Amino acid sequence: MSKIMVTIQDLHKRFGENEILKGIDLSISQGEKVAIIGPSGSGKSTFLRCINYLEQPTSGTVMIEDKKFAEPNQKANEKHVASLRQEVGMVFQSFNLYPHKTALENVMAALITIRKIPKGQAIKIAETFLQKVGLANRKDHYPSQLSGGQQQRVAIARALAMEPKVMLFDEATSALDPQLVGEVLQVIRELANEGMTMVLVTHEMKFAREVADRIIFMDGGVIVEEGEPDTFFTNPKHPRTKEFLQQVGN
Amino acid sequence: MDFKTAFEQLTPSLLEALGLVVTLALLSFVLALTIGMLVALGRLSKVRSLQVVLIAFLEIVRGTPLLVQLLYVYYVLPEIISYIVGIWVPGYHMNISAFTASIIGLGVNYGCYLSEVFRSSIQAIDKGQLEAAKALGYTSRKAMWHIVIPQSIRIALPPLGNYFNAMLKDTSLCAFITLGEIILKTQAYASQTFLTIESYTIAALIYLIVSIPLGQAIRIMERRLRRHV
Repeated sequence: MSKIMVTIQDLHKRFGENEILKGIDLSISQGEKVAIIGPSGSGKSTFLRCINYLEQPTSGTVMIEDKKFAEPNQKANEKHVASLRQEVGMVFQSFNLYPHKTALENVMAALITIRKIPKGQAIKIAETFLQKVGLANRKDHYPSQLSGGQQQRVAIARALAMEPKVMLFDEATSALDPQLVGEVLQVIRELANEGMTMVLVTHEMKFAREVADRIIFMDGGVIVEEGEPDTFFTNPKHPRTKEFLQQVGN
Repeated sequence: MDFKTAFEQLTPSLLEALGLVVTLALLSFVLALTIGMLVALGRLSKVRSLQVVLIAFLEIVRGTPLLVQLLYVYYVLPEIISYIVGIWVPGYHMNISAFTASIIGLGVNYGCYLSEVFRSSIQAIDKGQLEAAKALGYTSRKAMWHIVIPQSIRIALPPLGNYFNAMLKDTSLCAFITLGEIILKTQAYASQTFLTIESYTIAALIYLIVSIPLGQAIRIMERRLRRHV
């Protein structure tokens, strides 16, 4: 039995009167790839953002390995949350690269400011990770000079450079032109093959089926059904899952 | 018209006064930048009582003329402070130089306007920038100083430059609190020699030779900084 990397217990998230997440339990093992699918408004992005506490849960616990972000029903300590977040890399739909920094500077900024790595060494690390996403030759380009696919690959390199134990992908290819999706998926695929623990919120059903070890279907703030991809896609059990898969043309 | 005489007699002292004015403007602007950034951060914080105090402060400063504020800092403030300190230290009397009063008056007044420039430029930065930094392990404070504010400065730069240019000219109001700057010297010379047209024209030109190149420099800097934003 491999090590548990992420543990989520009875997670609730409420925005005012609106309860977005209605009690979610999930554990993710080391090296496991979990794809979360579901209709928009199902709470899947909110759930993903709770995993690194970008959204603070209303109640419930999130643990990375054996470290909790906060005790249940207690206010989170910002410094502790920030330090635990270093273990969790995140890639956003809208890339969120720093527009005033070059690709290289984007990747090395947190190494210097947060990890306190000396500049010369940070440059080397940043170059290694840009190389890994195939953008070593674009290191001095600003985000505005890169295509969407290239920007997202820089964003992936930026997250990886912190050497996280878990990677979260929040609809990483949704903002891309169709011809640029492939290059980003390729990078994610390689990362999956290297054994990175990953949670992906995605609309790319084919990709989810190919890369994930487990598919989670969320609707109405709960996990409706989960399973191993082949069974999940060929033989869904819950009527809501069947309906959804039909709608997305699976 | 006797521009030649006026030019020969007045210009050297005005150039000297210009040195004073530029020094005053620079020091006041540093104070204004500091106050502006602190007020902006205070207003963006979630502390409600702090926001109320800062808004009241802004309303008072922006609701009164700069000239009144300068007069207040120079004439009234030392009286008040002397009175209060005098309760414990009998016979205490506070003195403030015209130069110090000018720095405080200009710095506080412009600080309030600059705070709005800083606040709006910080709010103009996409929320995703803060989130990206947080996701990498930055605390809110670090994300603010290392990621958000450097970007917002690029947006703030043109209005900041314009405010500096305006402040350079508003130093002329300090003539009212006896600061020996350009206008006070011009006035003295004009009333002695009756070379009114010549004197004030030269004074105006002195301001122009500084503010026009300054405007150009701001435009060039703006173009450079905003290339990738």
